[in-house]
Amino acid sequence: MLNVLKLFFLLILPALVYSHAGWTFEDDEACLLCHKYPKMGRITEDGTLRNYYVIPHVFAKTVHRNVPCTDCHSYIKQLPHKEVKVGVKCDSECHSIKNPATGKNFSHKPIYDKYIKSTHGRKKLAIGPDRDKPYCVTCHTNPIYNPEEGKPPKRIVDRCVVCHEDRKFVVNWYKHTSRRIREVRRSSEEIVQLCSSCHGDKRLIERHMKAAKAEGRKLGEKYPYAVESYNESFHGKVTRFGYKKAANCLDCHADYDNYYLSVHFIRPSRDPASPVSPERKLKTCKRCHIYADKNYASLDPHPTNHKDDNPFRHYAEIVYGWVGDVVLFLLVGMAMVETIGRRRDGVIWKIKKGSSWWRPSKRGRNRKI
Amino acid sequence: MNLSAEARSVLERSMEINDVDNLERDDIETVIAAMPDDRVLLYKNVVSNPIGDLPRYSIHIRIQHMLTFVTFLALAFTGLPIAFFDHFWAAPLNALVGGVEVSRVIHRTLASVMVLSMIYHAFTITLGPLSQILKGRFDIRRTILPSFKDLRDFKDDMLYFSGARKMRPEMDKFMYKQKIHYFAAAFGNIVMIVSGSSFLFPEFWAAILPLSVASHFQEMMRLSHPHEALLALLVIAFWHWYNVHLAPGRFPMQWTFLTGKITREHQMEEHFLEYLRNLVELPEERDYLMDLLSARELDVEEEDEDDLLAEGISP
Repeated sequence: MLNVLKLFFLLILPALVYSHAGWTFEDDEACLLCHKYPKMGRITEDGTLRNYYVIPHVFAKTVHRNVPCTDCHSYIKQLPHKEVKVGVKCDSECHSIKNPATGKNFSHKPIYDKYIKSTHGRKKLAIGPDRDKPYCVTCHTNPIYNPEEGKPPKRIVDRCVVCHEDRKFVVNWYKHTSRRIREVRRSSEEIVQLCSSCHGDKRLIERHMKAAKAEGRKLGEKYPYAVESYNESFHGKVTRFGYKKAANCLDCHADYDNYYLSVHFIRPSRDPASPVSPERKLKTCKRCHIYADKNYASLDPHPTNHKDDNPFRHYAEIVYGWVGDVVLFLLVGMAMVETIGRRRDGVIWKIKKGSSWWRPSKRGRNRKI
Repeated sequence: MNLSAEARSVLERSMEINDVDNLERDDIETVIAAMPDDRVLLYKNVVSNPIGDLPRYSIHIRIQHMLTFVTFLALAFTGLPIAFFDHFWAAPLNALVGGVEVSRVIHRTLASVMVLSMIYHAFTITLGPLSQILKGRFDIRRTILPSFKDLRDFKDDMLYFSGARKMRPEMDKFMYKQKIHYFAAAFGNIVMIVSGSSFLFPEFWAAILPLSVASHFQEMMRLSHPHEALLALLVIAFWHWYNVHLAPGRFPMQWTFLTGKITREHQMEEHFLEYLRNLVELPEERDYLMDLLSARELDVEEEDEDDLLAEGISP
């Protein structure tokens, strides 16, 4: 036991301390003066527990690690700061980081402007049904662990530092660009899971159906069944089992000209701008189904058996169910009647010594022995 | 035995097909006359080899059955986990065959084999009878084509099993159960091939169908493929396997699908008309039956016949 403890103190503990030490960030604005305390937080007026603890070594691994806190929390003008009303909005402008292409201050505003016009667009502090819509951070969770940001290949970095000199800069640059060059995006399964987290939430859907009805707004025909019907479709079934080539939600609902831009600009299918609108549906189908024609585009990609959505399938499924049950019932019933009848007449289960009629029959006419 | 009109007709046609001479005809008639009118006594007293005594299926039919049953089970094994993806058994079963990337390749390959088997069968059942017709040896009653007699046989069989009739009906080479099963399987196969092809070539089906039908057709195919597969699997598991493996007298299995032969007692009990043809075609079977009848003292004397008629036993 003593040896184990010795090993822990000599090897593992220093390794843990060192690993944390290597993942700190510059806190020039002294935010950690308060935010380093794990218990830092409050209970909001609506009873929600909010925690404002910033874990330095965790934050140091996020994509925003090089952005000073006040670039996003621009409303903080003094310490201790006043109550935060709105919080960080993703269309704000960084003052410390320049966009190398334009030389201007970096900002997510261009993509934010696209997003705000999409069917998912909402303000940071939305009210009513808009609160259910995803804000930037709903999808961009900035995972702490990103396998794509592993150690860069030494050979590449070695070559870069010949001119760019600063190895730390080169490593960070490599991580940033290589992640994008590798086309890092969620897998089909993850995309379906992400979309399903809202579109599969029955209470959320009910809320929106009610709100739309009250406001006289039109919702998509498949809106209440989007997830359920996708899962039932061939695309959904094989995607669930890890098949990568079948269409996921974004393959059809996001424009294919610039995927990364268009996923922020998903429009309802009734809008001609949507790739699944009647005007553009065929072209979208043809991306995978190259021989598709207008008949093909009429096929329902979100099949359901709900009476109000697809009465044909609804009744066909009922008929199928009944036929299956009746057929099985009759066949098994027939086999039972036959067995009882033949057993009464003296049959045994297995042919023994040349016959299966060794039992005395209840109807006379036994085998002669 | 006094043969019924139907049995007499089958026997006469068989003798005609086989060019039976007068000497042989007398031999056959002697055996028929010696048989007791109560057919129950016949099949209860014969000696049967569990592996089979009398010819039933050609090598072609056996190969087709083998191809169909192996591909059918493997198709169900690879297809049902995809169709019923949200059931607890689906994911492990799918993983067992290497995931959907592998199982879909296996599934389509096996489907092709099943289609080939079906084409092979179509050739067999077309060319075989055609050749018989050309040679003047065709008897439609010996085929699996359904007839009104099957309805009567079904009714009479149910009456027998419920104790309201003394003997099972005189059934032909293919009885009503086999006809139901055969046509259900044929229908099921066609449904599976058409619906499967609508998954594999949806653009083709959409292109050849009118716009108003294309979507409904695809809906029906999406519905039919898993439903038909499940129904077929349940019918096979609960009915076909019961009939050929678990039913009394058939346990642990009928060897017909391997040897092509049926047991004597089974042939007499469920395919008596075909047994009459066996008596025409197989002289050794006539010899066997004559020996058995005299050894077991089953050969009919006139007074026995009167007793049976008095008991109400009629063919």
